[in-house]
Amino acid sequence: MMNSKKLKFEYKYGFRVDHKPFYTTKPGISKKVVQEISWLKEEPKWMRDFRLKSYEIFKRKEMPGWGPDLSTIKFDEITYYIKPTEDRAKIWEELPPEIKKTYDLIGIPEAEKKFLAGVTAQFESEVVYESIRKDLEKQGVIFCDMDTAVRKYPEIVKEYFGKLVPPADNKFAALNSAVWSGGSFIYVPKGVKVNLPLQAYFRINAERMGQFERTLIIAEEGSYVHYVEGCTAPIYSTNSLHAAVVEIFVKKGARVRYTTIQNWSKNVFNLVTKRSKAEEEAIMEWVDCNIGSAVTMKYPSVLLVGKRARAETLSLAYSHGKQVQDSGAKMIHLAPETSSRVISKSVAGNGGRTSFRGLIQVARGAKNSSVYVSCDALLLDKKSRSDTYPTMKIFENSTQVQHEATVERIGEDKLFYFNCRGIKKEDAESLLVNGFIAPISKEIPLEYAIELNRLINLKMTGTVG
Amino acid sequence: MVNFFKIEKDEEFVIKKRGEYLFFLDNFSGSLKVVLNHPESSAFIFGVYIGTTDNEFKLNTYQIHKIEKSFSNLLIKGVFFDKSRFFYKGLIRIEKGADKSHAYQKNQNLMLSNTCFVESNPYLEILANDVFCTHGATTSYLDKEQMFYLKTRGLNEKEATSLLVEGFLFDVFDQMERILGKNKTEPLYKETKEKLLLTLKSL
Repeated sequence: MMNSKKLKFEYKYGFRVDHKPFYTTKPGISKKVVQEISWLKEEPKWMRDFRLKSYEIFKRKEMPGWGPDLSTIKFDEITYYIKPTEDRAKIWEELPPEIKKTYDLIGIPEAEKKFLAGVTAQFESEVVYESIRKDLEKQGVIFCDMDTAVRKYPEIVKEYFGKLVPPADNKFAALNSAVWSGGSFIYVPKGVKVNLPLQAYFRINAERMGQFERTLIIAEEGSYVHYVEGCTAPIYSTNSLHAAVVEIFVKKGARVRYTTIQNWSKNVFNLVTKRSKAEEEAIMEWVDCNIGSAVTMKYPSVLLVGKRARAETLSLAYSHGKQVQDSGAKMIHLAPETSSRVISKSVAGNGGRTSFRGLIQVARGAKNSSVYVSCDALLLDKKSRSDTYPTMKIFENSTQVQHEATVERIGEDKLFYFNCRGIKKEDAESLLVNGFIAPISKEIPLEYAIELNRLINLKMTGTVG
Repeated sequence: MVNFFKIEKDEEFVIKKRGEYLFFLDNFSGSLKVVLNHPESSAFIFGVYIGTTDNEFKLNTYQIHKIEKSFSNLLIKGVFFDKSRFFYKGLIRIEKGADKSHAYQKNQNLMLSNTCFVESNPYLEILANDVFCTHGATTSYLDKEQMFYLKTRGLNEKEATSLLVEGFLFDVFDQMERILGKNKTEPLYKETKEKLLLTLKSL
């Protein structure tokens, strides 16, 4: 399947900033490296101990014995911590024309374009988003990067950090727990509704999207927050491994929506553990779109622990060429009258491979719960492949569990219809694919949805890699 | 002429001749592998499970399509009482080049006690794009409204349960009859019905 040679190709439309880092640890991971990271961040003892403990677990844990091939990950060659330079300002004109073209084609606003490309000086974005930040502060919402949170709000962080995704969960969660850096911390007080979606690039003076992000969201009783992660523009990373951990606590009656639009360059292994806990009458929604990376393994999960809690996962995967998108959802029903819904749409083209992997578990006592899972796969050509691996474990008899999956291709009849109306084959295919993913793309913020549609059109016509 | 097989032990069938093949599973634990290697072959897999006491069933099925225009359809229905347990893992695999194939897979379960357990893993691996392929799995309790309707007609809990469960399982035999004919299906149906009545009586 994948070998390291193939992964070393020059990413055509990605972009790399030759930054001179302030400080980097030596490649490879050891107890010393973990201590060094903690020391550089001036962390309290409990966090250092947590990291060291996690490192021990990481050493012990086996690689997953299922799913895509991960054997090309060389843990000894990865640099685990890079302190970015203060001076990251680059000139927009210095960007390769291809990536500028991609940004233009997708239609990203100028200000964001520069930020995404890493060319914007920090203070520029600060001006743009200052007013939003003030509003949040007035409401008592805490929104900062994880490193700051450990320093400024140790009590809250200590209470929740690593409680949903313990280091022993899996090898990559252990790795993240040992060497994590960056990520977002959001605390929404009781009853506060954050109207604007919070986005990672609102963060001021934060580290750029790192490879071992750690995100923690706490929504107190009756609050609401929508967090958007990632962006549709291709993000180039020289580091071939991205292992993030996301933990979300949704308290009684609160609602959290977490939208991800993942478009890493095609040399990245994207192995992410995402989990949330929904208490009584809480609503948790994952909107998970995976477009980029070499291999993605990500199964956002929800523990429905409170009565009448609700959860929904909308999953979209597009794999093209050598990509493997192994995504899905997990719903664990632990309380009565809980309900969950999983809608998955995957598209595989030009030899791409998509897999849906899901777990539905209804514990004894989770009376009158209901689960609905639907997976649709679209195969664009003969070279591509689609797999569906759902698992349903039902311990409670007064539940309704439904699962269905279909696999289809772009029908000749549909193409013929478009042809009759004077629409070219390529355009018709793009339209059909965008129609196929519409139930999910309409759930993400409009500007992202528009970008997503354009990106898929570009992918379909082969304009971008 | 339909080729009929009642599966009693782990078996693998490689279908190289045209025709219809019907595999019947009755409370069978083990694995059944059907490889379709002829373009005009059809495989039907039908299964009924009635679990009582501490019965445990582990079923693995494989529908492997190696060649174009092959057809397979699977329907497994189970009703589970007491502390019975059912583990099902089914795979549809459509190999490269097996275009214009149809593959269907359905597993439906009724849980009639609060101590039974059902695990269902309906897997798909599709390597060709011009195919018709769906699968579905449901696990639930008896429909409350249907139950209520029958009770308003004077049936007691047991009678109503019996009628609904029988109707649920009957679906399998109904579909079988269309392929196998009435003569061959009826004895199988009667056998299952007797077992069901006996089970319900002992509750």
